[in-house]
Amino acid sequence: MKLDLNWPTIRLLVVKDWQLFQKQLAAYVLGGIVALGFLGLAKPWAFYIGSLLLIIVQVAVACFAISTSLLIERKEQTLAFVMSLPVSPLDFTIAKLAGNLLTFLVPFAVIGLATLLVILSTPLPDGLVVFALLLFGHILLAYCASLTVAMQVESEGWNTFVMIASMVLINPFIMLLGQIESIREVGRGEAIVWSGDAVLILSAQLLLGLALLAFTAWWNGRKPAFY
Amino acid sequence: MTLALELKGVSKHYPQFSLSDLSLTLPEGQIMGLVGVNGAGKSTLLRLLTGLAAADSGQIEVLGHRLPAAQVAVKRGVGFASEDMRLYRGQTLDWHIELVRRIYPEWDASYAASLMRRFDLRADQPIGGFSHGQRVKALLLLCLARRPKLLLLDEPTTGLDPVARAEVLESLAEVLRDERRSVLFSSHNTHDVEQLADSIAFIHRGRLLACADKERFLGDWRRILCMGEATPELSAWPELAQLRSAGRQIELKVRRWQDDIPARLTQAGLDVQRVDPMALEDIFVTTVRAGGAA
Amino acid sequence: MSADATPIGAGTGPDARFHAFDQLRALAMLTGVLFHAALAYSPLLHRLWPTADAQHSPWVDALVWLPHLVRMPLFFVVAGFFTAALIARRGMDGLLRNRVRRILVPFLVAWPLVHGSVSQLTGWAAQALDQPSPLLLMLREWMAQPDPPALPPSTGHLWFLYYLLLFSVMTWAGRTLGLGALLRRWRALGPHVVALTLPLLVLPGFLGTQAPHPAPESLLPQFWAIALYGPFFALGAALHGQADWLAPLRSRVWPAALLCLLLYAAFLWRLGVDAAPEPWATASWPVAVLESLVAAFGTLACLVAGVRWLDRPNAWMSYLARSAYWVYLTHLPILFALQYLLLDVALAWPWKFVLGVAATLALCVGSYELCVRRTRLAHWVG
Repeated sequence: MKLDLNWPTIRLLVVKDWQLFQKQLAAYVLGGIVALGFLGLAKPWAFYIGSLLLIIVQVAVACFAISTSLLIERKEQTLAFVMSLPVSPLDFTIAKLAGNLLTFLVPFAVIGLATLLVILSTPLPDGLVVFALLLFGHILLAYCASLTVAMQVESEGWNTFVMIASMVLINPFIMLLGQIESIREVGRGEAIVWSGDAVLILSAQLLLGLALLAFTAWWNGRKPAFY
Repeated sequence: MTLALELKGVSKHYPQFSLSDLSLTLPEGQIMGLVGVNGAGKSTLLRLLTGLAAADSGQIEVLGHRLPAAQVAVKRGVGFASEDMRLYRGQTLDWHIELVRRIYPEWDASYAASLMRRFDLRADQPIGGFSHGQRVKALLLLCLARRPKLLLLDEPTTGLDPVARAEVLESLAEVLRDERRSVLFSSHNTHDVEQLADSIAFIHRGRLLACADKERFLGDWRRILCMGEATPELSAWPELAQLRSAGRQIELKVRRWQDDIPARLTQAGLDVQRVDPMALEDIFVTTVRAGGAA
Repeated sequence: MSADATPIGAGTGPDARFHAFDQLRALAMLTGVLFHAALAYSPLLHRLWPTADAQHSPWVDALVWLPHLVRMPLFFVVAGFFTAALIARRGMDGLLRNRVRRILVPFLVAWPLVHGSVSQLTGWAAQALDQPSPLLLMLREWMAQPDPPALPPSTGHLWFLYYLLLFSVMTWAGRTLGLGALLRRWRALGPHVVALTLPLLVLPGFLGTQAPHPAPESLLPQFWAIALYGPFFALGAALHGQADWLAPLRSRVWPAALLCLLLYAAFLWRLGVDAAPEPWATASWPVAVLESLVAAFGTLACLVAGVRWLDRPNAWMSYLARSAYWVYLTHLPILFALQYLLLDVALAWPWKFVLGVAATLALCVGSYELCVRRTRLAHWVG
């Protein structure tokens, strides 16, 4: 496949999606600052509120970024306007993937780093880093799955189902991690030990997420036309 | 003659609808009206012409580029607006203008400003607060001010009030003053087509029923009122698209008008009472009902 | 000098400068150097400050907490003003780009250097000095343990950069959400009402922390610091483009200064009464109220006085303003090194103070002149 991409227009489409999401993102950023503020109070009750709020903000960013840039665009027929601009299906796919990943990964990275910082700089056992990274790995994978489905499937119902189901699966995933002794024990100690199980799960999450995104890019990009 | 677009034997199949063996050309500088009922295939044809859809067979060339391979190059030179196209409700017209301006270097800011005044649009107002007419005009402004070589408009005047319709038609007429610009616009409003188009194409159930110059179209058709008895031989005349009789009164619609037709009718025992030119709408309806070529 | 070598947040060139605000910011930052130097001789901080000298004087406590209540609020008013000026001139994108260049990058570069050097110096001082401060003594005992726990990382005296970044992000979020209207409404109430509401707005900040308030050095945002400095930052932003807004307060500068002195005296008295039963207890209501009043009225008085008397170009002040950012970034490790050395020197504390300040300023300004002013560094921290 010859990669003849229209980068200036792709960039403009990414900026456009960013501008459209800006208002929501501003609210989430404020929510994130409040959540970090709660963590900064260094009290057990504030820690629970803060971490819960952080997860809510993270999940909201993931779901609403996809919703604004893909589902609402389809529903409100602004997609026809975008497709009339000089872009090929591959340009469009790349712009959507890049725009979504940017909107998701920036707060994801900030919140992820803040969480690691909290674990490492407070009396919480440092071994929790492994546990936290596996949870973030799950959110990343759930996001990649939701993004893939949103790019492939027009049905709003299916999209909502995948978003909710993949994020809610974090609960059984936490329970699963609790069942794996090597991960459970590390989470209680000060040493950060990457057991074989932990490495396997994290690499599976990352590889599967990447594979989903690569499949989406290939599937949408190979189409000669939008319809 | 340079062609703005050319379709050769183009087919596109969907589960519920097919566009079959369509061939069509539009010379540069011409304005063509595409007339058809809802679901006739006008939007599919326009999607094929913008490269948004790929044909199953046949060949499409627009502005000298083959589609869908060169869709990006084609969309650079084409202004496309369709009835189902919406702008972002939460953003202002200015925001849309900025987006389009950065994509199309040919953007004509002073023309955009003059269209804004003529269409009475507010650049700083979010699109969500626009009426339907204002939204259509905003979309047209975004298409026109980029000075496209070819303008493809899918039902541009549908749902507009008479004033907005007149404004839109005037702007289109103005675009056509530039002889190198071409326009293909679909409509089920034949008055608009009659007013603007140089040539007219009738499309029905995915097939092209007719395509010709407007003058030829209008010149070829006549409505003839006669008195007498309609004979089976008369119904077999190839020029006759429709024959209706009420008592002794007969209404004939003729698709290939010849000056000797009244005399031939008299020879056939009919008393020709009047011969009138036909309006495009009437020609279209008659063509669709006849189910054949115009 | 390059056109870019303007202090944090200022305009594109010398002609675009706001002299009063430039100079107020420089004074607020330089007061910080004096303040940090004086803490070594404060009885109140004797057990808590690493360079605490064996000699201390109640005069220090009587004098240092007044500028402490005013200098950072004043700094954030100026920061808010320049933030609004940048947005007006270069838009939100311009602001964010400027903040990355002028604050985020210097913070990320300076933080490990400052943190590392202060930690190393303090570790050395705890081991090597004959007359260590109580905190150094404690540290010496701590380090003698077989497996001493590491101190949590903190932003140290660079916390103001962290909060400038945070307030820039909050400014973007607030403007995007259309909260600028609230600010305009507050300003529309007029300077007198704003002056009276300001203490109420900052009171939760003072109530949320100890008295005198510490530096919010945590790597996580502190609610109290946002509540304390946020309103001052917002006030600064509201002042931009309102040349005469402060004019009705001109005649109130001296009465306000006098009122501040009286309130400050009451604050010192209450501080003595409260004499912290536990070191991390938050301020009592009376103390927090007094702190809010002093901080709000004192800051406004300085602001009005600055606009009245400093709003003209002055070569010395201009140089000071340009070097202030660099001086403030670098002063703490240098000051600590000098004051650690002075701990073992038999000299009266006022001389030690003067020596410490003079040498620190000489080294900081000298390094600015040699390494920053005419170099590419000026682009970032000039």
